[in-house]
Amino acid sequence: MKFRVQQISQGEDELILRYRQMNSEVKEILTFMERRERKLAGKIDGETVFFLPEEILYIEKVDEKTFAYTTEQVIQMDVSLSMAELMLDDIRFFRCSKSMILNVNRVERLKSLPSNRIDATLQNGEHIMISRTYASEFRKLLRGE
Amino acid sequence: MIFRKKVKADSDKPSLWERYLTKEIGIEFKACLYFYALLFFYCIYRICTGNTVADILHMAEMIFLAYIIGYVQVYLLWNFDEADTIGRKEVLGISICTAIYTGVSYWLKWFDRNLYVTIGFAGYIVFLFVCVYLVYKCRRRIDDKIMNSNLELFKTRNKWDE
Repeated sequence: MKFRVQQISQGEDELILRYRQMNSEVKEILTFMERRERKLAGKIDGETVFFLPEEILYIEKVDEKTFAYTTEQVIQMDVSLSMAELMLDDIRFFRCSKSMILNVNRVERLKSLPSNRIDATLQNGEHIMISRTYASEFRKLLRGE
Repeated sequence: MIFRKKVKADSDKPSLWERYLTKEIGIEFKACLYFYALLFFYCIYRICTGNTVADILHMAEMIFLAYIIGYVQVYLLWNFDEADTIGRKEVLGISICTAIYTGVSYWLKWFDRNLYVTIGFAGYIVFLFVCVYLVYKCRRRIDDKIMNSNLELFKTRNKWDE
């Protein structure tokens, strides 16, 4: 496949893919772009990093700052928690408290606690508490309601 | 990406009134449960003493006390019968509530101030609290199984695209 790179002085960066027939090569490029599109930006020690939503274990608001926790990193996000929730707009991300969004797919085990609270054990062994306020909605989400 | 079915609105979360109502229903349930248990012991006592009639005033006192103790349990004594494990706090809660039940039963002559029956009643109340604790624990264990099975299904339904 031929490709051409052109530097422009005005307008948005753009990638145009022209193809006669959808083949594995074209599909591969499209998949790559789709995955890239989904990436979120954040900072670790002042350096900008990009990461995929599926890497997130949970997002937490601490002192008006938003942090995304992955298994290995803590990334400070430039957006508010509500904005992060809107950006993700994904059923797999559940607002489990006023200050936290949980990646349900990264939950290893759930434990029912007194007063209808839920303890979620994440893949890294951390425990997240889902309060009674959010627990019933969480149960509905799991049931697919 | 699997988009949310709907944007979560604040109205989806239970309001203060709904949360209060949930707590109140919990207390109501507790009051009914304990009143039923108190009445059972009282009826057995009446039958054993050759009396087949229950005093309606005693019954009213029992249900009233069961309500008060329900409030005390939920708002002051850490809802000890629904605790995850029995620790110091729970033992203290059981002791306080048992003492109140026993004291009131003696004061209001539910068992004609018979000391042996009153002591037996105290033991019965402790046994009752332990049974309720075990029932709640068992219920949570079943709930765990259902929730974890639902979690696995959720993960299968909503796998990340490779």
